[in-house]
Amino acid sequence: MAFDGRAFDGRAFDDLTPDDAVLELGAIRSDDHRRIGPKMARLGQLAADGWRVPDGYAVTAAALDGWLPAAARSELERVFTAPVTPDYGGHEHLAWLAEQARQLIEGQPLPAWLEDAVAGAQDRLEHRTGQGTALRVAVRSSAVGEDGAAASFAGQYQTYLGISGTAAVLAHVRKCWASGYSAHALAYRRRFGGAGPPRAHDLAVGVMQLVDARSAGVVFTLDPVTGDRDRCVVEANWGFGESVVSGQVTPDYWAVDSGSGRILERREGIKDVWSVLGGAGGDAGPGVRLASLPADLARSLCLSDDEVRYICRKATELAAAQGVPQDVEWAIARDLDLPDRVFFLQHRPETTWAAFDPVAYALRNVFKVPGT
Amino acid sequence: MAADSPRVFPVDEFVRDELYPGYRQAFGSQPFVAGPVRPFSRADNARYWLRDSLHFSEGMVPASIALLDDAQTWGAQLGAEIVGVPPTRGSVNRLAGTHVYIGTIDVDTTWQMQARAARFGQYVGPILADFDRYWGMRAAELQAAYDHFDALDLARMDPGQLWTVVKDAYAFHRRAWFIHFEVMYVLTANYLAFYGLAEEIGLAGSQVSGFLAGERTFYSRTDEELWRLAARARELEVSEPLLREEPRSVRPRIEALPHGKTWWRELEEFLAAYGQRTEETCRIDTPSWIEDPAPALHAIASFLAKPAGFDFYAARAAAIAERDAQIEAARRAVNGGDLARFNGALASNRAANFAWWNEEHNYLIDRRAAIPVRRATLELGARLADSGAVTRPDDLFFLFKPELFEVMEAGSGSGSGSSAWAELAAMVPDRRDYFEHWRERGPSLPTMLGTIPRTVPDPIMIEVFGLSGHFLETLRSESGAGAGSGTGETAAEIRGFPAAKGVVEGVARVITTVGDLHTVLPGEILVCGGTTTEWTPAFGIIAACVCDTGGSLTHAAIVSREYGIPCVVGTAIATQTIKTGDRVRVDGRAGTVQVLA
Repeated sequence: MAFDGRAFDGRAFDDLTPDDAVLELGAIRSDDHRRIGPKMARLGQLAADGWRVPDGYAVTAAALDGWLPAAARSELERVFTAPVTPDYGGHEHLAWLAEQARQLIEGQPLPAWLEDAVAGAQDRLEHRTGQGTALRVAVRSSAVGEDGAAASFAGQYQTYLGISGTAAVLAHVRKCWASGYSAHALAYRRRFGGAGPPRAHDLAVGVMQLVDARSAGVVFTLDPVTGDRDRCVVEANWGFGESVVSGQVTPDYWAVDSGSGRILERREGIKDVWSVLGGAGGDAGPGVRLASLPADLARSLCLSDDEVRYICRKATELAAAQGVPQDVEWAIARDLDLPDRVFFLQHRPETTWAAFDPVAYALRNVFKVPGT
Repeated sequence: MAADSPRVFPVDEFVRDELYPGYRQAFGSQPFVAGPVRPFSRADNARYWLRDSLHFSEGMVPASIALLDDAQTWGAQLGAEIVGVPPTRGSVNRLAGTHVYIGTIDVDTTWQMQARAARFGQYVGPILADFDRYWGMRAAELQAAYDHFDALDLARMDPGQLWTVVKDAYAFHRRAWFIHFEVMYVLTANYLAFYGLAEEIGLAGSQVSGFLAGERTFYSRTDEELWRLAARARELEVSEPLLREEPRSVRPRIEALPHGKTWWRELEEFLAAYGQRTEETCRIDTPSWIEDPAPALHAIASFLAKPAGFDFYAARAAAIAERDAQIEAARRAVNGGDLARFNGALASNRAANFAWWNEEHNYLIDRRAAIPVRRATLELGARLADSGAVTRPDDLFFLFKPELFEVMEAGSGSGSGSSAWAELAAMVPDRRDYFEHWRERGPSLPTMLGTIPRTVPDPIMIEVFGLSGHFLETLRSESGAGAGSGTGETAAEIRGFPAAKGVVEGVARVITTVGDLHTVLPGEILVCGGTTTEWTPAFGIIAACVCDTGGSLTHAAIVSREYGIPCVVGTAIATQTIKTGDRVRVDGRAGTVQVLA
């Protein structure tokens, strides 16, 4: 990267403009993946192709790469490469290194040029959406080189929902960065060595308008259990999609014949909680938290048949265009009509073992390789 | 010097006996990843050696040794090295007489384990994520080679062309076995991860291969075809000679019957599609079914003895229903994140299914890869016999590959009358006697030699060969009197791995070599060292199966579930404890076998 050794101590780059630091959604195309990661690049392309995607912008990996002062970078490098064996205290040692990295990153102010770039993009987004400073956004990590062999490492990075205002956005950009140095992420990186997953600082961040979701979830264009490509499977809950994605509930379930759109199976989930706006401590704070789901909602399906069919039809179109089965996250906004109410939040090639990595498991638990 | 004659820079001044003063490099010390096939040496007492009667029950002729080298020795070692299997560098082989024992090369330093783990992750992940395409590529490569070799008209070739085919066939054999182990290590890791996860979340690991049952393979289709031919034999009224005559003399008897020619034509159509297979692995001396259809004829005859036939449709429907019920029960037993992991592991194993591949790959590799070498060697042998260099075409089976290559390369293909050939040919009768001597000793050889360990560190050996703690303990404590005698009760009880559920009582039939398989009668309980693909037809007529070796991944375990019969494997001592004619009770869920009388 061209910025090495020049962006220390918060001084601005001579040759880095806000245009390089931030890309707005409308300007993003799929070949931007090296700057902002495939997740955000795919989303920008989807919007350009006329799909309904929440408005937003991306902070580029290049901008983040030049940010940390030299001392902090070499300290981080030490954390990254420090020997961790059972002799050094194993996982506790790793957790201690991770905490050092977090303090190092979150304690570091962003350079003024980067703050300015983000503030400008945030301003324009607040204006475009008409919501002003009340606008809530999702701050999502978007790892560069996320696809392929490194895909499972991308799961180590964090996403933060319900963030408002430039200052909070900037703070959460730093948190995304620091999440690449969690104990889990460090352990993962050691197991696979440097060649597979990306370096921690190959990270971009997406900032998207948070869809005020009535219901949300995922659709797979193949049956994730049997691998059957003739059916789509939809899983969803009331509220934001986090309760589904993080496995906190048994979601409502639909299986749909991809060719005819006929709903083959409907199964009511066990939905005792949902994700709603509010801080972890109470109702007032920022963010999204889990809350008990009101009993009347818990006992009813969170999507209409029309909605299920529409989501499957669009996902099938997408899979056909991409040439491989897709796993798509979506949300249904309150108070809009179909089809406008369905927003597509991200899509990726379906990896059947997303929830279970047989290779990592075999190394750790079957072959019992020390340190994995 | 003419412009087109080759230029030679002589090596003469560099020719030496020794690599360095005092060190003479031994033959075979370098070309292998870890070590070639060797006879036992005293140092081998320090570790365990398992008799591999599963794959090589009758012993190896000299020419088969090179094929064994390609397969379980070099192929396994290179596969383990390239895939980066953390705990093992593959297998090594020793010979007791002509019989094959297998040992493993354990990786025993932490650094090596970790370094291998790193490259293992990089190698295996992408393959598992896209297994269909990957195996499709390998299968197409193998099939293209068979298309090439099968189409060659060897009889019309000149000696130089024919020798080239021999060399090509050996080169292909080696490549085929690398593919075998590359894929096997990748798939076993996937399977073992699922097995480990199942145990971790409170399910039984022994259930896992049941979750993967119900897939059709090349061999299940072969079996269906054999049953169909048995039904056709009844319809076309050719059953009598099939039941009474030996395979060698049956054809004229059948063709003398009114519909006999029709039936034999159908048999030949079957052989054209399914007959490129031999009875054992790496054995140049075993014919393909096309050369000698005796195994197919034996199978059909034994099916005729069960007039009700075997309802494959019902058996598969039952196997699938049983599988799906087990999966549903497992899903109800786990929840939340464990359920997601279970589903992920199941999806990964369905997409890259060891239980399926274990049967399917035999047709493309184990039972077929040596056929091009055999065909070309026999044709070469026929030419040499015509010229008087050897007595019979199959005399070449009793030469080691380096011997054959040396004499052929030196004599550029026409070695008749040379002293080298005379020397080699003179050894053949003794070597034939040696093979015969050891073939007879085969059934009495110990299951294990060397030092029997308490545990085996390589989980792949445990699942494929069944080297569980119980198996090893049984061998360690074996007194020669059989197991279970300590209780003083009338019924001796043998324990093993519960491979397929169900309880059955019946008469035992102890079989030590696949050649005797046709003696099994419908309703008997098969007791054997272990089974492979060639034993599959028996599963349609037997009531249960008991094996000395094997774990959840072995052939008998997988096939028993498909055929819906109880099965216990990894008993260590069943063939020594049980006698043909004993009445036994097999409990496939408990993993026990009782000898009742």
